[in-house]
Amino acid sequence: MEKEFNTFKNVIRLPHKYAAGPTYTKFYNGLKESKILGTRCPSCAVTFVPARSFCPKCMKNLDTWVEVAQEGEVQTWTYAGKDFFGIPGKAPVVIVLVKLDGTEGSFLHLIGGINLESADTVKKALRKGTRVKAVWNEEKKGHMLDIKYFAPLSKKR
Amino acid sequence: MGRPVAILGSGQTVHGRRFDVSYPELVKEAVDAVFETTGISPADIDGVVFGTMPSMMEGVALTHFYFADVLRSVGKPILKTETCGSTGVSLAITGYYWIASGMADLVLVVGSEKMHEGDAQATMTTVLEPFYQRFFISGAPGVFSMQSQGWTVRFGIPEDKIRAAATKLSIDHHHDAFDNPYAHIKKRLTEDEVNNARIITYPVRLWDVCPTSDGACAMLFASEKAAKKLGKKVAWVKGVGYSGDEYWFGDSDKAEWQCAISASRQAYEMAGIKNPRKELDVAEVYNPFTFQELLFYECFGFCGFGEACDLTLKGVFGRDGELPISPSGGVLCTNPIGATGLNRVAEAALQVTGQAGAHQIPGAKTSLAHAMGGVVQFNGVMILGSEK
Amino acid sequence: MADRVGIVEVAMTPGAESKDNFLDQVFRTSKELLDKAGISRDEVGTVVSASSDVFHGGVSCASSYYWDAGAAFLKNASRQDGESLFAFIYAVMRILSGNYSTAMVLGVCKGSENPANDMLTHFFTDPFYQRQIGLNETVAAALQKREYMTKYRITEEQCAAVVVKNLGNALKNPYAHVKKRVSVEDVLASEMVMEPLRKMECAPKSEGMIAMLLAREDVAVKLTDKPVWFKGYGSSMDHFYLGDRDLLNGQLGTAAAKAYEMAGITNPKKEIHVAEICEPYSFQELLWCEDLGFCDRGKGGKLIESGATGPGGKIPVNPSGGVLAHNPYVTRGLYRLAEGFLQVRGQAGERQLGRKVTTALAHGTHGFAGQCHAVVIIGK
Repeated sequence: MEKEFNTFKNVIRLPHKYAAGPTYTKFYNGLKESKILGTRCPSCAVTFVPARSFCPKCMKNLDTWVEVAQEGEVQTWTYAGKDFFGIPGKAPVVIVLVKLDGTEGSFLHLIGGINLESADTVKKALRKGTRVKAVWNEEKKGHMLDIKYFAPLSKKR
Repeated sequence: MGRPVAILGSGQTVHGRRFDVSYPELVKEAVDAVFETTGISPADIDGVVFGTMPSMMEGVALTHFYFADVLRSVGKPILKTETCGSTGVSLAITGYYWIASGMADLVLVVGSEKMHEGDAQATMTTVLEPFYQRFFISGAPGVFSMQSQGWTVRFGIPEDKIRAAATKLSIDHHHDAFDNPYAHIKKRLTEDEVNNARIITYPVRLWDVCPTSDGACAMLFASEKAAKKLGKKVAWVKGVGYSGDEYWFGDSDKAEWQCAISASRQAYEMAGIKNPRKELDVAEVYNPFTFQELLFYECFGFCGFGEACDLTLKGVFGRDGELPISPSGGVLCTNPIGATGLNRVAEAALQVTGQAGAHQIPGAKTSLAHAMGGVVQFNGVMILGSEK
Repeated sequence: MADRVGIVEVAMTPGAESKDNFLDQVFRTSKELLDKAGISRDEVGTVVSASSDVFHGGVSCASSYYWDAGAAFLKNASRQDGESLFAFIYAVMRILSGNYSTAMVLGVCKGSENPANDMLTHFFTDPFYQRQIGLNETVAAALQKREYMTKYRITEEQCAAVVVKNLGNALKNPYAHVKKRVSVEDVLASEMVMEPLRKMECAPKSEGMIAMLLAREDVAVKLTDKPVWFKGYGSSMDHFYLGDRDLLNGQLGTAAAKAYEMAGITNPKKEIHVAEICEPYSFQELLWCEDLGFCDRGKGGKLIESGATGPGGKIPVNPSGGVLAHNPYVTRGLYRLAEGFLQVRGQAGERQLGRKVTTALAHGTHGFAGQCHAVVIIGK
């Protein structure tokens, strides 16, 4: 390992276009109307959000639509102080799993509206169970980031 | 159960930033080593199993083509097994089934990664689909940090206690790595250094996280007939287990991690293990993050839920403890992803054949090897023994 | 081998672009298979899938994404990269090991959302030598075609006849992507893509989600009264650098010899009743027929001229229309096997061969100019 030889730089970019299909399309359209939509399994009664087209356990089609609450409880979160590949916007960001009221699983999104200076400042505002609410962007594109972020409702539970 | 399956030997490369060799040359280093160690001729193998992490990692797709020659696969059948981070154990499991099926007597199994040639974290981000979640996941540490956070809260573990246990693991593993000639990062760390290292994604700090490594690992899996012909001490596969969760992060609890529990129980059942902490002599746990390593102890039944920190601090899982974990220094010190899981199996095999050198656990007869992957989604476990 | 392994059922999607998303297609195909076979997800012992990161939309670690859509939730399952017949044989191995009585094989490919195959196969190159020269699968095939034509005096008309036959056969195949009644003149008049390969001689880029249920003999006979048995497998890999290889004497002969030996076949011309061959480029069907022993070396052109490989011939090749009619890169091998399965069962619909079919051969290849080949023999 003492000697290193030439390296050759080669950047590759490939254009993909992804078919969203009816379920994701309907979910995205919901976002445009400031709605968070889920689908419910007729067999195990679990509500999946964002909307899914099938239940992984029961292998059932999901076509029962429900508009779910825009408030929920923080399950877990992480803080990134530096930019990383694919970061939504710019660092710092807090990425969170929120259990939206009335659903069983968790919804992956961002936390905002708090001091993001460091992990410690975030810790002061966020813990498991912290109540949060979706904050929407004015302009909607039918994209996950139509929801700007989830913001804590108040400092105390 | 099929035919008995033996492991004849392994070859690992030295790990690190391997810009001294091209990627095929790195793979060749491991392959040549296993043939040299065992004295077996490449002409005698019936087939090859190969795998890496995803194509984006090094920007070459379907790498079994690229490595066809160095894998000694020309004129032979090949299987290309890939299951994200758990690839290494999935490779070993493929070798196991190939031999157990009776369709081969001698199979070469190889895993590799040359992570410094691409952007590992950028690659991890593309494991997420483009519709719902890709926007939010900060490479691997993000999801695993969230998992650890969830686990801490779920079992009410005080933050200073989990920090202390994680720090002990970090110090011990980085120290253990000095005894492993193939390890990448070897370091004597103090508590202060670990506790005050920069945050990667809270609560994970620099010394809680594995490095990115270049490396490869090659192993030979064989039927009983081929093992006898070799006439040397071999390791035997006693149990295999693999399990995967739903895809969507958030669909299920990752503290009592269902696929980790199910993979380990499949392997225990096959191996006839009832009390893993007593019956296993050493375990090579896939531990890219100290916090997550603690969680695995509980999911694998090495201790009860919520107990891992206390027992770790008491030294139960240390080199001289009741069940030594990752005496090689583990993934925390060396992580060439596509090879990492296979390194665990190679280490587990070295232990039960008494060939682990400076990090040998004296008298080890039964060992466990593990790998994890996907979006906190896959676990694979293999149990090895010194007797058939 | 202690046990026989049978194919119980198959489900697959057609090759044309669907606006359904990837995951929905995987789920529906898996579910269709389970419903057709009449078993629940819980009863499936293991799942082995085939996919490729670059061929399914730039999502890395392919099997993470479709794991549960492919019925593998909390199962001991695995995945093969690049060639779907690898997934088939790995599932067979898992059953033969005695650990499972049923296995689902899944192949996923949604060609419509990916960049062109030539862009993706360019990724197979090493970054140092072949990538800088712009090598991709079509370039490699063009080099191979010219060598073949020159050495054995194979004519453009003979190559074009493969296209005429296969696209014509595809007219009767509801799963095929490109189906047309075309003439040799039409093929020769189509645009030159990579001299001497014309556009119509190159396979399209297609979708293809396919699921197959396998079972150990005792279970297979309970699940269906028409199981088709696995008889033999052979696979072989060639050197990496194109210049290191003999492009006209590759590894298919080795792969076929192994498969024939395992299946106890000594005279393939007589004992194989239908062959589904992976021919992403017209002339490859001729060359592969030679490697499979259907005719002598260099006689592939004469073979198609004789009509022997037509649907009414002595050794029908690609009654489905083959890969020229439907090219879901990763899953095209499994589609060949599915057609063989339907032909043996007598369930190939309008394209069911008139002759007796008890033994079928399925062939898959991937890589430049057939770097890797796999051959599966199935039968009654």
